[in-house]
Amino acid sequence: MAERVAFSPVPYPRLRRTVKFMLPLMGLVVIWQLVVVIFDVNPRIFPDVPTVLRAGWGTIADGSLFSHVTASLWRVTVGTVLAILLAVPLGILMGVSRGVSSFLSPLFRFFSVLAGIAWIPIATLWFGYGFGAITFVIFNAVFFVVTYNTLLGVSTIPMPIRHAAASLGTSRWQLLKEVLVPGALPNIVTGIRTGMGFAWRGLIAAEMIATNTGLGYMLFLARDFYRTEVIVFAMIVIGIIWLVLDRLLLAPLERATVERWGMVQRS
Amino acid sequence: MTYAQTIWGMYVRWTTAWPALSAFAPFVPLIALWGFVVWLEIFPRVFLPGPFEVLQTSWSLLYKGILPAYLGDSLVRLAVGAAAGMALAIPLGIFIGLNQRAHDATWPVLLFFQAIGDIAWLPILLVWFGFGLTTMTFVIVYTVMFPVILNTVLGIRSARPELERAAQSLGASRTRILFEVTLPGALPNIITGLRNGLGYGWRALIAAEIIVGTSGIGFLMFDARRAGSVDEIVVGMIVLGILWYIVDSWILAPIERATGERWGLVTT
Amino acid sequence: MKNLSLENLSKTYFDPYAGTTVNAVQDVSLNVDAGDFVAVVGPSGCGKTTILNMIAGFVPISGGRVLVGGKEVKGPGPDRGVVFQSFALFPWKTVAENVTFGPKMRGVGKAERAKIAQEYLALAGLSHAADRYPNELSGGMQQRVGVVRALANNPDVLLMDEPFASVDAQTRMTLQEELTRIWEERRPTIIFITHDVSEAVFLANRVVVLSKGNVLKEVDIDLPRPRSWDRLVEDGDFKALSNKVLQLVRSA
Repeated sequence: MAERVAFSPVPYPRLRRTVKFMLPLMGLVVIWQLVVVIFDVNPRIFPDVPTVLRAGWGTIADGSLFSHVTASLWRVTVGTVLAILLAVPLGILMGVSRGVSSFLSPLFRFFSVLAGIAWIPIATLWFGYGFGAITFVIFNAVFFVVTYNTLLGVSTIPMPIRHAAASLGTSRWQLLKEVLVPGALPNIVTGIRTGMGFAWRGLIAAEMIATNTGLGYMLFLARDFYRTEVIVFAMIVIGIIWLVLDRLLLAPLERATVERWGMVQRS
Repeated sequence: MTYAQTIWGMYVRWTTAWPALSAFAPFVPLIALWGFVVWLEIFPRVFLPGPFEVLQTSWSLLYKGILPAYLGDSLVRLAVGAAAGMALAIPLGIFIGLNQRAHDATWPVLLFFQAIGDIAWLPILLVWFGFGLTTMTFVIVYTVMFPVILNTVLGIRSARPELERAAQSLGASRTRILFEVTLPGALPNIITGLRNGLGYGWRALIAAEIIVGTSGIGFLMFDARRAGSVDEIVVGMIVLGILWYIVDSWILAPIERATGERWGLVTT
Repeated sequence: MKNLSLENLSKTYFDPYAGTTVNAVQDVSLNVDAGDFVAVVGPSGCGKTTILNMIAGFVPISGGRVLVGGKEVKGPGPDRGVVFQSFALFPWKTVAENVTFGPKMRGVGKAERAKIAQEYLALAGLSHAADRYPNELSGGMQQRVGVVRALANNPDVLLMDEPFASVDAQTRMTLQEELTRIWEERRPTIIFITHDVSEAVFLANRVVVLSKGNVLKEVDIDLPRPRSWDRLVEDGDFKALSNKVLQLVRSA
């Protein structure tokens, strides 16, 4: 009853998706240039596309962009990795006991609420201006959010699942490895994504205040000299880096756990 | 062991009698630990003040009227920014959510602008508007807007088709479906977006007050940093924590519970 | 109440994965008299839900026509009430608000709607749950709301798409008995889709067996009414008819 018809599947679905994603952004660049030219916008207020590209090329050519980007990424990496390494075991340890987790969770909620930017003043006081203070801010932003989410993840694993594991003869260690960690993983990943979102913003803010290298510093330095073309370029770089980090690393990771296992969708 | 059990038993009894207590109880040992560390004098006092000093400082800040005034400034900025952000974001989100073409054309742009992040806008805003209220308001509105737009769009687009079918076959017009079915269905997402947006917006406010600052809690903290008075910084942090705790768990979370959870749309 | 007739109804769609067009429904003609109760049974994939979706106007018709009271159907409308397998209650509306949704759309005033709610909730035995939200009810109670929500809008035809498939066995039997009682009292025109043969035989005046998008056979069910499971479960005629339909479905 079903007859075959000529049918060709859509070629290169990945490429098509990328093009579909890039097209509106290209359109935005065109509109930007048109607006600047038509309304004759003062370049001090908003530069046109070629000026920004030239400024961008300048920062690439003299190597300053590279050193700012690597400085920022290095801080994020160190702060985040340290935070995750400490937060996940701690969260699981506390989450194993219902009593401990319900007692301590307000504490971690309180600190995850403070995460990031609010620590800048005291961090600069403790560590001075520079790497230490900024990494501390990032560590903080990620650590409390991930700990709280891990705690939440472990303590919300349904009891029947734990009972099922126990009746299938799992030891304590196996329970941890096979049930508690995978069960909390969606929450952990969500925590990392949220925490890194705060950390990235905290990084930019901290770099504006407390250092002499990094993307935030690049932005703020350009402001001192009213070089809007460098500011706009740096903003675009910041946007692209976070978009790549979030969309190509964190969001797929979250999709692979949270959504695949039938939990909620996020933007 | 028995003492521990007695204390635990008291904790359980009291928190079942007054559930609000469980939000404060864990801070008691934390503050005790803090006081103990300070008493040991491992760190110099200029780096880590004791609980009593912080209490004294907060009392004097309260007494002088600095804390209430700054707190008021911060809250007004946050409220104005959040209201304006929502007023812009929700209609925009509804439009983009309902219109496939608009969605295709704007979604990547929205993601990109969200990725740039509020704080990265500060330098150019300072060039445009100088150090002042406009800059700060812009940053907060910007920050609140994007999570709300993105989540509204998501909520509208993830509407359950059979509910719209049910409404159609009960004779609802398209406008009625929008207001009776699509929007209530998107409400939990919109609230989640608002919660995220306020979370980010509030951090952006602190950063803006630190960098732009003429008043506000962020300014208070950074001014204290310049003067090297660490106890005022700690007061600022505690105030921020409590403030957000109140906003989040006494305003936002109950709304979420009253809508999404009662309707069985959200499980956490 | 009006009659419902399907004239050479067809549905073809393109399956992008297989790269073929599929004829889900082929030339189905069927007449349901005003006040009649017809059940449509068939194995999964026989096109029964597609037929219902076309009658309801949820999916476009590829060929043929659907007539309600002699008037051709275009898109969804309040002349055909639908009861969904997934209940499809509005989670943000209370039980009473769900039941009076249709009248509200027609512009019926508040006082009148309160009366309608009272009447239909009583019919479903749900008067105590008027102010609860659907999420707070059991599956069986939710579907009672689903049924009276459709009825309260006074549709010409009631379309039921495996409405009792997602409730437990005991509740299902109770719901079936309640549905026959409501039908016997009010005589709405009902077309009832199911894959459960004994359900079809228990409820309907006529059972239509579908196979691969076609009507295989129609079987008249002349069991006496009122029907109840207590009596029918051991009834010879009921068993014979169920067996007959079951054989047809299995041969399909």
